[in-house]
Amino acid sequence: MAKQPVALIGAAQTKFKTHYADKTYVELAQEAAKQALDDAGMEPDEIDAVVFSMAPTQFMGVNDCDRWSTAHVFGTSKPYMRIHAGGATGGSALAGGYMHIASGVYRSVLVVGADRVAETPDAQHILNLIWDRFYEHDFALNTVTMTAIAAQRYMARYGTTEEQFARVVVRGRKNALGNPYAHLKGDITVDDVMNSPRVAYPYKRFDICPRSSGAAAVVLTSLEVAKQKCARPAFVNGVSAITHSVFMGDRMGVFSETEFSDHDGEHIAAYEAYRQAGITDPASQLQVAELYDPFSTFQFPILEGLGFCGRGRAAAISDEGGWDLVGGQVAVNPSGGTLCTNPIGVTGLVRVVDAANQIMGKAGANQVPNVHNAVATAAGGSTQFFTVTVLGDDHTPKGIMQ
Amino acid sequence: MDVFVIGQAVHEPAARIGEKRLEEIVFDVAHAALADAGVRRAEIDHVTIAGCDELDGRSISSMLLAAPAGAQLRDEMKCTDSGLTGLCLEAMRIESGIFDLGLLVSWSKPSTAPLEDVMRMRCEPFYTRPVGLNMAITDGLFAQAVTEKFGFDEFDADEAVLDAYRRADANPRSVGHGVPGIENIATSPYVAAPLRQAHQAPITDGAVAMVCVSERWLRRNPRARPLARVAGIGWRNEEYDLGANRLSSLTGFKNAVGDALKMAGLKTANALDLIELDAQTGFHELAFRAALDGAPTEVSTSGGAFAQNPYFCTGLINAAEAILQLSDGAGPIQIPGIRRAAAHGSHGFAQQGNVAVILERV
Repeated sequence: MAKQPVALIGAAQTKFKTHYADKTYVELAQEAAKQALDDAGMEPDEIDAVVFSMAPTQFMGVNDCDRWSTAHVFGTSKPYMRIHAGGATGGSALAGGYMHIASGVYRSVLVVGADRVAETPDAQHILNLIWDRFYEHDFALNTVTMTAIAAQRYMARYGTTEEQFARVVVRGRKNALGNPYAHLKGDITVDDVMNSPRVAYPYKRFDICPRSSGAAAVVLTSLEVAKQKCARPAFVNGVSAITHSVFMGDRMGVFSETEFSDHDGEHIAAYEAYRQAGITDPASQLQVAELYDPFSTFQFPILEGLGFCGRGRAAAISDEGGWDLVGGQVAVNPSGGTLCTNPIGVTGLVRVVDAANQIMGKAGANQVPNVHNAVATAAGGSTQFFTVTVLGDDHTPKGIMQ
Repeated sequence: MDVFVIGQAVHEPAARIGEKRLEEIVFDVAHAALADAGVRRAEIDHVTIAGCDELDGRSISSMLLAAPAGAQLRDEMKCTDSGLTGLCLEAMRIESGIFDLGLLVSWSKPSTAPLEDVMRMRCEPFYTRPVGLNMAITDGLFAQAVTEKFGFDEFDADEAVLDAYRRADANPRSVGHGVPGIENIATSPYVAAPLRQAHQAPITDGAVAMVCVSERWLRRNPRARPLARVAGIGWRNEEYDLGANRLSSLTGFKNAVGDALKMAGLKTANALDLIELDAQTGFHELAFRAALDGAPTEVSTSGGAFAQNPYFCTGLINAAEAILQLSDGAGPIQIPGIRRAAAHGSHGFAQQGNVAVILERV
């Protein structure tokens, strides 16, 4: 249990699109910071510290761009640090901000970041550079081919089909129609996904997220500040992360502690976050799941890892509408999720923003009724960094602490 | 704060550690810190990493380095500002009440990174990058500004560098640069006036790791041997843009040290027996000393960056030196009766960011 409760009282995101020709990187970050402060009813001087969320800076082309952003996100003369965990950065930055408050060191923290993934002509070239220089650079390994390998293994283990993954895309794009910030959205069909150009089996183009530009921010505070500023905060009741070895081959088979294609790290992180939040039965206690799913193949193993159903069951439940925004057992990615919007350095933070808005009743057209608890995830590296955040409408855990 | 360091390790420094891959350096220092603490990796409940992708030459360097740093199947978090920022983050993670036993690891191997190219790419693309700003030039601007403000001259900087090398020469953990003659310093080429080449601390490779625990863990493990208590932490960033006030006011330095002192229940630096400064040039050494509110009994006994300077984690090396002093492990440079010490780190162009940690004898 944390020493101090942590409340999220302000959240913001910009619209996401491929390019922002009318704003610099730092102006984008400032837009989200200003909106989050406005949402929290706070002035910049009321913020004690800033945590900057940014993944590889090679996409946007300025090393350690958090330093350039300092004044723009109201960080001048304040405690200021950057958290980076690849694709999991946003979730890890949220946890970093959480530690500022939970430790009692600070009372209010702005967690903010921005990304411009499409500034580089080829993001996958940058993502080839994440691999080992001597062994892996040369055979075209990138995040598409890496996750395609995992997806093939998942399909072989559970009999999942490409059409079942395509339904995830259809649901995400449809949900995104109600999200004014989403990058990709639309009323598409399974055939549209299946007929899009093949990239790497089992992926077609529509199975893969876009390269997004945009920014996000949240304001975290102590319980004392939250009581003064916000009628209905979203409390951060559980934060956890798990890091794996980079080597995918070490994460499968009889000698491995985990199963690569199952995203097992997510499972370990989730149950620690649930323990902190008092969640003992996720399927009945969590109403919303905002998942980091940059590929259509991510949702099923993540949902299973989060404990919403047994291993190999998520695809069948998807076919039956169990993850739908309306009528599902849990609303999965009401925002459209990462498949529709992926500004890598802040994607995990966007998941938290969308989950928090559901708790705070600010999710607009995609508001799910009676949301008391929500979970947000992020993943990064060679699907090796996992974060899980549990948000609730009450800071007092309702479950049984184990 | 109720955070304690129970073990640490500093990799043997060198201008270039050529016989190991970075993964091996990180593994070795993490392993040595755990051994020093007498705990197994299986016992730790989290890992904090301080590392810099750009200096490591990889887009997400922790992908390959997290496991050697002990983070396999552990809750790991990475900050990218500086090694000493990592200690602040680690202290907050333990102080949160969620964690009890953690490993902090930081590294830098600039011998394989074109440092000034990395720094030049820190420039935003519209104004400063076309100018060709880099670390040497920003340090030169800093030197100009503090020279004017405090009334130093180049001779003072020459003397400060010589003094730092003398202290470093007595430190058995130094790279062993030797002590240059004053004339060699004073006549070395200008890199950005008034900054001369010999005013700059030589960049080295290095790595450092610490094992940190909560008070709760110490109560449960009464046989454990705490080396020092983390009593206060502070870190501040200043503006990215380099105006005269930004360069000469040292506001970030003063506030970071002030925050850490306040958290430790101290009013001024007079209460410190030692401060280990992250001074990248002789001008920085002079400026930081002048800007301190109060005068610690000893300053940079280790020689600071002139002893070893794995740029990015030099501040955490300073903390390791302070901890050695507080646990009577500093060898020939041991300060008798030392009770309280501070470590300082800095990062960014012309010290945009400053970090301070107050450590106490247990």
